[in-house]
Amino acid sequence: MNTNPKFVYVTLITTTPEKLWAALTSPEFTQQYWGGTSIESDWKVGSKVIFRWRGNIVHNDTVLKSEPPRLLSYSFHPLQFEELLSEQPSRVTFEIEDFPVKLPDMGPVVKLTVTHDDFPADSQIFPKICDGWPGILSSLKTMLETGRAIVFKW
Amino acid sequence: MEKPKFVYVTHINTTPEKLWNALVHPDFTQQYWGGRRLQSDWTVGASIKHLKADGAVELKGEVLQFDPPRLLAYTFVDCAPPLSRPAEKTTRVTFEITVAFGVTKLTVTHDGFEPESKLFPDISNGWPAILSSLKTLLESGTALPFTWKC
Repeated sequence: MNTNPKFVYVTLITTTPEKLWAALTSPEFTQQYWGGTSIESDWKVGSKVIFRWRGNIVHNDTVLKSEPPRLLSYSFHPLQFEELLSEQPSRVTFEIEDFPVKLPDMGPVVKLTVTHDDFPADSQIFPKICDGWPGILSSLKTMLETGRAIVFKW
Repeated sequence: MEKPKFVYVTHINTTPEKLWNALVHPDFTQQYWGGRRLQSDWTVGASIKHLKADGAVELKGEVLQFDPPRLLAYTFVDCAPPLSRPAEKTTRVTFEITVAFGVTKLTVTHDGFEPESKLFPDISNGWPAILSSLKTLLESGTALPFTWKC
């Protein structure tokens, strides 16, 4: 039986929900940890989400849910691979929760859960996002905790 | 029904040697693994023990592969399961360290579960927290300040 693939990744970050939200939704931040990708939107449900990379628009997606600073979801349809253009758009969802800590003076910890689903059973894009998310989310965590994203030599 | 398998990848601003040291040294595990000290003499076939702060053995196992600073694998026997689930058969955890695009990459694979494992959801919740804390410790010098239930 074919089951539709789904990617889930959880990471804990020493930051506030508001700072994490800003990091997910501001092009100045996404450029640092997302391989130089600028992500632009007014983040209203139904609005466009534009990914720009080296001057080219590589995504033209739509905001599905936006409840700052807790819940963000948008469609996901990469445009940079011609052979993948015919695959239906998938969906990525970011959930931000407070994580209980025993030493509050060390600062708050938030739990980020990224769920990427709504793929066709035989998706060609799914293996690519499984490779991509851990690097992006590792770099996001490093940026928020140390002030500098990870520098990958792509 | 397919046997569940947990895989988690994280990229860390550190060297493979420092990451390896953090995986096998009890003074490090105590910081990022909820106070647990991981003790072994780290030869293939040697026993490993996870000791809680009160000295109780929480997990034990046996070293399967030891190839510093690239590959570590051991069996994983849950010695103190909560009342809500029975003890389960021995599983296996594997740590692979590579360098990808100039950055140290850790892949943790935990497998060998029964199809209906009740332990699997618990470890699926646990590993992201432990590995997030490990990354924070290596990059900033201080692990995450967890509250642990036990």
